[in-house]
Amino acid sequence: MSTPRKILVYVDGTEQSITAAQYAICMASYFKADLIALYVINTKAMEDLLKARIFLQDEQIEYEHDMEADAQRYLNYVNELAIKKGVSLIQRSSRGSVHKEIVNLVDEQNVDLLVIGELARIRSRRDELYDETERAMRMVSCSVLIAKDEDKVWQMYESLV
Amino acid sequence: MSLIDLVQEKIVKIPLVSTDKADVLRELVQILKDAGEIEDYDAVLRAICEREEKLSTGLESGIAVPHGKTEAVSTLKLALGIAPQGIDFASIDRKPSQLFFMLVAPPNQSGPHVEALAEIVKLVQSKAFCRAVTAAKDAHEVVELIKGE
Repeated sequence: MSTPRKILVYVDGTEQSITAAQYAICMASYFKADLIALYVINTKAMEDLLKARIFLQDEQIEYEHDMEADAQRYLNYVNELAIKKGVSLIQRSSRGSVHKEIVNLVDEQNVDLLVIGELARIRSRRDELYDETERAMRMVSCSVLIAKDEDKVWQMYESLV
Repeated sequence: MSLIDLVQEKIVKIPLVSTDKADVLRELVQILKDAGEIEDYDAVLRAICEREEKLSTGLESGIAVPHGKTEAVSTLKLALGIAPQGIDFASIDRKPSQLFFMLVAPPNQSGPHVEALAEIVKLVQSKAFCRAVTAAKDAHEVVELIKGE
């Protein structure tokens, strides 16, 4: 059985995604795999909000700028986490629909393993409430690992030499 | 963080007692204050009102989504108010608003903020769901309806 050679972690700024990043760094270190961190600026959602008239045009532009800054900040943070453990990280940010961008990058980069943060604890039966990360989990062609238990993952990350 | 994770009984109020737009915004912010979700009531209210001054977030079919960004919160906050009687919120279709989803986010969490707003848009597309929530007898029933339990 071959080990993962290319790992992708999806980062969206939530605590769960940072936990996923710590887990992915541990795995990349253990398997000596390439590690990519992806942040997606969800322009699809913003377009939907503009259509629904929840967003104004200038509000959409403002949020887009905020999200660009968020992308850089969170990717830099994950990069620092990786550097501390001697793991090199490829930072990627893209724009569009989150699940599509994840699926595209997995295919484009021949990713073996996608690492994501914990999904919503309570799931509704309403189809309307599924989230983008869950859609990505269902649609990607590679295996998916869901990082859970922030404290345990932190300990695992901290114990990594 | 999904919208559904933010929904809990303490951030739901039914019925709202306000009769006009200014009061309903205050009442929604007070829900968060009473629930212990925010400390700085004035800062949150200011953020919400600043956005409303640009253009009302009253949509069609009795839905309103007041929202704003402020450093007075460290994570995304939701308050849900229901006014079966309807409140004039200067909505697009000029009809009274009955369902109020108020979202407040810190400036550095625009991603989760946008996704939560998008989830609300999807949620309220079901007229049957909106009718059921508006007719709910208490916060517990509202939470159960939203969580589909």
